[in-house]
Amino acid sequence: MKLYKKEGNILQILSFPNETVEKGDYLLVEDLEARRALIAQVIDVQFASVPGVLEELLRSLPDGGELVQGEDFDPLEIAPHIAYIQDASLLVCKIRATVENENLSPSSSWLPSRSQSTIKKLPLPTLLKLAKIEGKLPIIIGGTKDSSLLTIDASHLDGKLNIITGKKETGKSHLSKLLMTSLVGYKATVVVFDLNGEYISLGMTSDGKRNAHHDKIHVLTPGQNFKTALKQVNLHVMLGILIHALHLPGTSAREFRRIWQSLKERNMLTLHEMGETIRTWNCNQHVRDALSSRYHALINSGFFTDNVCEATLLEDSLFRAKEQGGAIVINLRNTSAIDRQVVVEYVLGRLVEQLTSWNLKATFLFAEEAHLYLRETYWDDIVTRMRHFGIFTTFITNQPDTVKENIYRQADNIFLFNFTNEHDLDVVSRAARVDAETVRSIARDLPPHHCLTLGKVVKDFPIVVKVKAIDVKTMGETRLFFNDMN
Amino acid sequence: MVIEQYTITTTPKYNFPQPTIDTTLPQRLIEQSISSLRHQQNHAFQLNQQGFQQTANMDLHEDTFQLRMQPIPLKPIHEETTIGACDTSTIKIGETCTGMLVAVRGASVLKKHKSYRYSRLGPFIFHITEENKKEVYDALERAYFVSARKQGHLGLANLLQNPTRIASLLERWLQATLSRTMNGGVVLFDGSLTAGTGDTPVERLKGILLNARECKNVVLAFSKITNLRINGHLITDVTLQQKTPYLLETTGLRPRPPIVLLGDIYVARLSHGSFAFRLDIDKENTYERRIEALGKLMGNDVLSQGYPETLRLAHILCTFTANEVIAMQHFVVRRCRLNIINRPDMHRLLFGPYGRGESYS
Repeated sequence: MKLYKKEGNILQILSFPNETVEKGDYLLVEDLEARRALIAQVIDVQFASVPGVLEELLRSLPDGGELVQGEDFDPLEIAPHIAYIQDASLLVCKIRATVENENLSPSSSWLPSRSQSTIKKLPLPTLLKLAKIEGKLPIIIGGTKDSSLLTIDASHLDGKLNIITGKKETGKSHLSKLLMTSLVGYKATVVVFDLNGEYISLGMTSDGKRNAHHDKIHVLTPGQNFKTALKQVNLHVMLGILIHALHLPGTSAREFRRIWQSLKERNMLTLHEMGETIRTWNCNQHVRDALSSRYHALINSGFFTDNVCEATLLEDSLFRAKEQGGAIVINLRNTSAIDRQVVVEYVLGRLVEQLTSWNLKATFLFAEEAHLYLRETYWDDIVTRMRHFGIFTTFITNQPDTVKENIYRQADNIFLFNFTNEHDLDVVSRAARVDAETVRSIARDLPPHHCLTLGKVVKDFPIVVKVKAIDVKTMGETRLFFNDMN
Repeated sequence: MVIEQYTITTTPKYNFPQPTIDTTLPQRLIEQSISSLRHQQNHAFQLNQQGFQQTANMDLHEDTFQLRMQPIPLKPIHEETTIGACDTSTIKIGETCTGMLVAVRGASVLKKHKSYRYSRLGPFIFHITEENKKEVYDALERAYFVSARKQGHLGLANLLQNPTRIASLLERWLQATLSRTMNGGVVLFDGSLTAGTGDTPVERLKGILLNARECKNVVLAFSKITNLRINGHLITDVTLQQKTPYLLETTGLRPRPPIVLLGDIYVARLSHGSFAFRLDIDKENTYERRIEALGKLMGNDVLSQGYPETLRLAHILCTFTANEVIAMQHFVVRRCRLNIINRPDMHRLLFGPYGRGESYS
């Protein structure tokens, strides 16, 4: 390999056919005289602009587009040399760091010698060692191309905003399960908004047996084993549900507050009493109608009950998880859009309560396709306010444009699976921790189950990894019509 | 980008005839190539893209030269006929402290049963120095044409002309092979049927034409460029109201000895709206055979822009591309362990941005 050009933080390196370098590989451009080296990542492999190649190709096709047949008598065997030159490639690389005395710095301001520099592939284990990516709480994400393991430090997910994205069936949920179980293994509390019931069998192996996490996975299905009594709900949580999930107007919300306080003072906070009170409350008819319709929505959700024994306290699950770590899976499958929002408002409200009162240290929240249940204002809340409370969110989506731009800007880690759509790639490339060229070039060619890991977990060295398999019962499979016929 | 290169031009030298021509593969070319390179190992090597100077110093009496303005109309004859053509190319790929490295390649193409088939020889790389230029050329000549060239004759050729002579030798060998191996076909040569030049002895070309006739082939030689003029105008610029295709016959061209014209010269305009070319047809063929051969050419080959596709292919296939030049430089560096040196460009050095570089000089 030969150094050809440097423009900004882009290096162009000439590579020959016997040097197998692919997109995503790291190269070490070492200038022995300067005692420094550049670490550059290949983001594109192009044909080198060799003069005469066009003539060469045209020459082989002059007979009406068909190859002219014939024999070549090439006694000196020059043809392999021609092929060698013709197949030379140009590696477009992004400079990621400078190594000087075994220390890394993000600088790319110096110019290595074009004639004297040596260029060689930088094995990922060496890079991981140089960048000190492994930590005290290792999570093995999977294998890299050169058969080494990519191990990240769980503490780099702590207090961070993460995004897992890629088109469907590329392995996003698989990675999120891996991260979840690993975090639970380190006694972390994890809350999952499970839209399709994919995570409910996290405690089971693929053959249906209990796995090591079985006792730490708490599946809460709203309306079934997850109900709450009004007495257990704080007024501001209920107001949050009514205003944000059920869109109760401000005037009606004020009347509701009075009704709630009246019932609470009389220790009569039940669904039945609330219905009666709304019916007989002295207020404007429109307000009564508004309150009445929301009341019936709460009743119909099946999430609220007057039977305290039937109610499940979210806190119970959280406390169980607090000691030994655990995942509370909120199973939102078969839950209507409105009810979903009611449940999410409730869970987030309760979580904030618990965190504010320091009953809980911190929680890792995994939100799949969050745009289907998160209200508009929560996005900003999650990246600003809630992070300070101790809710560290990981968004999982196959529609990157549904996640707000500021989320990408502030994301600390991105696990990017394959995308081919330009629009999707454009959206993801707005992330602050990576350059657009890397995202566009590498993500487009990622095979299934391979992810481009970006951000703090890899110390800003984008690394392609094949996510390791985990022995968990798969529940996210698409139901197929022709399944039985095959 | 195609590297500047020249196809072969004849020089006014005389040679004695030789009787037989070997049609096996040019083994001696390989031997000479390898032998010349062997002596050049571990030397410095300057990459250079300069081409060779062509020598087109044909001496002719043009005072009696006439172009008959009565066009000879031509008609395609669709009888299945094999069309054969060959061409060679040479290029300098670098300089050494004692000489230069050149590459030679030849190609012959056959159009048969509506499809083209080629045979490409080379590239052969030679290291030519003042010391070995005669040895290399003579060895090759002896191998293929059992040369009766006069001793000392080649000493007149300078180093720069030597590669074109080697290419010319290969071209004559390819022409000879085609003339002997085809039967009842049309053989297309690139250039003219002028003999008596340094690299084309009269007897050699005569022998090739004789072989062709013996095998019932007709040789047609197409020149892309001509210097022949009538009343100051190039003969190929003359246009008539006549519907194409047609021929215009020339008469009265008398070359000065030792130059000999072995063909009659025509201006051929073979397709509508196309270019006209100087066409030399073997003198020994009858008028009818000449017209028939042209008819068969038109009936069996594509004549885009009035130029036969078979001959165009032969030219394309032997021409060196820049990519190939780089590959050959790569080859000699690897094989002969030559060190590449960058000699300063004096034009650039002395005149800065006003110096266009040696390659333009």
